[in-house]
Amino acid sequence: MPDLSGTPATLLKLDGISKSFGRVAVADNLSLELAAGEMLGIVGPNGAGKSSLFGLIAGDLSPSAGQIFFDGSPVTKLDAGARCRLGIGRTFQVPKPFGAMTVFENVLVAVQQGSGLRRRASYAAAGAVLELAGLTLDANRPAERLGLLSRKRLELARALATGPKLLLLDEVAGGLTDPEVTELVGIVRQIKERGTAVIWIEHVVHALTATVHRLICLASGSVIGDGDPAQVLAMPAVREVFLGTEISASLGAPGQENG
Amino acid sequence: MSAVEPAEHQAANVSQVAEAARSGMPVEVTRSRGSTIWTAIAVIVIVAVLFDLPRIVYSGTTNLLVDFFFLLIISSMWNLLAGYAGLVSVGQQAFIGLGAYFVLIAANHGTSPFMAIPIATAACAVAGLVVWWLVSRLRSGYFAITMWAVASVCELIIIQISSLGGGTGTALPGLTSNPTYLDAYTYWATVVVAVVGLAGIYFLLRSPLGLVLTAIRDNETGARSTGSRVARTRLVVFVVSAAGCGAAGALYIISQQFVVPPAAFSVSFSAEMIFITIIGGIGTIEGPIIGTIIFFTLQQTLSHYGVWYWIILGIIAMAVAIWAPRGIWGLVSENFGVRLFPVGYYLWPAGESPRRFIGGKR
Ligand SMILES: Nc1ncnc2c1ncn2[C@@H]1O[C@H](COP(=O)(O)OP(=O)(O)O)[C@@H](O)[C@H]1O
Ligand SMILES: [Mg+2]
Repeated sequence: MPDLSGTPATLLKLDGISKSFGRVAVADNLSLELAAGEMLGIVGPNGAGKSSLFGLIAGDLSPSAGQIFFDGSPVTKLDAGARCRLGIGRTFQVPKPFGAMTVFENVLVAVQQGSGLRRRASYAAAGAVLELAGLTLDANRPAERLGLLSRKRLELARALATGPKLLLLDEVAGGLTDPEVTELVGIVRQIKERGTAVIWIEHVVHALTATVHRLICLASGSVIGDGDPAQVLAMPAVREVFLGTEISASLGAPGQENG
Repeated sequence: MSAVEPAEHQAANVSQVAEAARSGMPVEVTRSRGSTIWTAIAVIVIVAVLFDLPRIVYSGTTNLLVDFFFLLIISSMWNLLAGYAGLVSVGQQAFIGLGAYFVLIAANHGTSPFMAIPIATAACAVAGLVVWWLVSRLRSGYFAITMWAVASVCELIIIQISSLGGGTGTALPGLTSNPTYLDAYTYWATVVVAVVGLAGIYFLLRSPLGLVLTAIRDNETGARSTGSRVARTRLVVFVVSAAGCGAAGALYIISQQFVVPPAAFSVSFSAEMIFITIIGGIGTIEGPIIGTIIFFTLQQTLSHYGVWYWIILGIIAMAVAIWAPRGIWGLVSENFGVRLFPVGYYLWPAGESPRRFIGGKR
């Protein structure tokens, strides 16, 4: 039997994943491998299927064909909760906070359910996650009263609190000012340095290129570019799908450093 | 989605988060913002007074309170089910009726009806498991309507059993013939069930499972993606709610001393639970308490006005839906920041928690 789960260092493996909504294909026989601790950026035009790909990896969507392996075992049939407990943490493009619960409670439930800690151990872990995400001062505020930046931070903090081996970030920098993006990039780098693998979807391309060493470009549910960020952004096919969009402006300076 | 979960690799996750915790600053956590000592004293005093009441007042008052606590129990159970687990049922009268008939069956076999209350409660928990197996895949409107159908099926089955009185009903045997004692025992049993039921809900919501429930209430997709076992949590809540309604049904047959299927399985129980919970404030422990007080007062003062009673109930329901979508308690707690039942968590900078005043160390 062939070893479908990939090499030992492979953390995530998508094998021929397909998924459509009606006639719109959000994943078209898509295959992808990610090593443990690796950091991958994803770009692509609106509607390319980026968020849907996260749904497929995290178990919020189920593929019509193909297999998903995580950490050496097949997870295609597991629901989102089980995949999270195995170590897949995700954020949503549109944050999904537990509105009436406090920021601390939002993170605490993720610590308790995602990584199985209880009582004092879970309180300490939740407190540490809030500290890392810069939310300590908001700890006792209801999540629904937070502003945009804090909402984005909470979304990140809650995913982190589940103790992920793989963290999926869906446009966490969208709508933020430049200094706020810089701060967020700093947080993501700290996460990566702890050995957590990260896949980061971002429209703010300079935030990505400052952080990742590998970039893929998605269009209509297919990978049209995969490799070094500068090289991917320079590919004719990639430049073509971005023609006339906001991103095309930043493609001119793909290597731009940030923070 | 049914799949065998592989052995979960939680050890790695745990160590990573725990490591982060060690490097972070020490935190202190309490379960309420301030002192809860006065709430605790108030609860103890109220419960003590309630237990002593049959010695103080006439049975007319305690009989009224039996009706009051019956409504409080069923609406608190409906609130747990609909307000926290998102399971809007219009068929909880299935378990009220079954609870009543389980008491009748036990009494027919010589058990004291009061001793049969825990039996009926347990039997309804089992019935809840069976019903859950049937309805767990259904959502929203389908779930609501199917639950109503389940209640109707239960009623039709009971009607077929002539030893339980069939469709014309039967008296409950085994009750003492001394009306003073009977009223007092019925009242005490009702207070015990209400206190145990509400305390059960309170401690359930205070537990880690309660935090998951609150998360599901606020955002189900978010709860799933943070590792919550949504299906298992819903099962627990459904069974608890079935057991609670079963206990209420047991009290119902004892206080009526008679049972007839259309009354025991009446859908108007559902209407009452829903009205009380919505006007009081869905998704809070306090809501059904406030709602029961309001509904009960209206019922006692207005019910002999016939059709006007129903019109006033309708106007109140609409007014609450428009001006206080989180119910009366929602209005109060938003404006004054009060909570009678502390189920939350508060994080304090090290050394600043009021723990030494409230003595909690959880
Ligand atoms: N639940 C859904 N039902 C129907 N269509 C959907 C759903 N989710 C996404 N789509 C469609 O799939 C396409 C890809 O969406 P998405 O993955 O969100 O793209 P991206 O994140 O790359 O902008 C879009 O055309 C979107 O309208
Ligand atoms: Mg998207």
